Amino acid sequence: MSASLNTVLQSASVLITGASGGIGQAIVAACIERGATVFAGGRNEEALGAMQETFGKALRPLVYDVTDEHAVKDTFRQLQRQVSDGLAPPLFGLVNNAGVMLESPLSVTSMDKLKQQLNINFLAPYQHMQLASRLMSRLRRGSIVNIVSQVSEQGSKGMSAYAASKAALTGATKSLAKELAPVGIRVNAVAPGFIDTPLTEHYENEARQKVLQRTVLQRAGTAREVADAVLYLLSEQAGYTTGHVLPVDGHFCP
Amino acid sequence: MDTQQQLQQAFSDALGLPPEKVTDGLTYNTIPEWDSTAHMVLIAELENVFDVMLDTDDIIDMSSVAQAKLILQKYDVSFA
Repeated sequence: MSASLNTVLQSASVLITGASGGIGQAIVAACIERGATVFAGGRNEEALGAMQETFGKALRPLVYDVTDEHAVKDTFRQLQRQVSDGLAPPLFGLVNNAGVMLESPLSVTSMDKLKQQLNINFLAPYQHMQLASRLMSRLRRGSIVNIVSQVSEQGSKGMSAYAASKAALTGATKSLAKELAPVGIRVNAVAPGFIDTPLTEHYENEARQKVLQRTVLQRAGTAREVADAVLYLLSEQAGYTTGHVLPVDGHFCP
Repeated sequence: MDTQQQLQQAFSDALGLPPEKVTDGLTYNTIPEWDSTAHMVLIAELENVFDVMLDTDDIIDMSSVAQAKLILQKYDVSFA
């Protein structure tokens, strides 16, 4: 591995949404370990404050709701102002990690719940890609990683709204990879399978075993394993990879 | 360099055109150099030069050099 492959993130900022969640925190830590400045987006001011105490100036918290269109614009203005003032390096990476998982059969899924899935899991990442790509295209370089799901790749009973929202993001990932390549921006996705995080804590043992029995590696993944995949796609080690959906699922067989 | 020259230079850099070809009448999609990819580069260039963040509706409306001037004026950029 050449030195340049290791240093690309050292003079770069990465915006990570959902930064205070299980996978989000792991991605933040991985990026900071690699030398990046992280703009950590989230609604939980207290959790972000605690992360800032841990990481110091390498972490710059941005408290906002990803589904609030105006708040997202203001956040990008705030981010760019910090870059212009020399407080942070230019934006190189975006990780659309914020998401919610709805488990609800078709017959009892309200339109409000469906819209919430689409708002958080698709529309918000789309707006983030729109604004981030404008900043990245100034330097003709950037890397976007969307967190999708193996549920959208394979389908899952009782999760049609979630699967559809993540499938929309996968479609956007592949299309934007083609659209943004001319301005030097790569767009990829990571599709986690069953990962040990607060999001899956509620799984009872039987349900958990059922999932693991269909996983070739016979265990749940860790947030760090997802973060490592994200880090790879962000970095120049994946410089010839775009439009790819990388499964981190222990080879899940539905 | 005044704002008019900055605008001309931004268009010239983004579209790869000589500055003298950047006139008020120059319009999106009427020359091969100003396609959708170049439009994105142009927006980034204008935002960078004038230190603004344009709304999506303004980006959609930015269909000519003349229109770009009108839109940028909304962001307190004045042209003599």
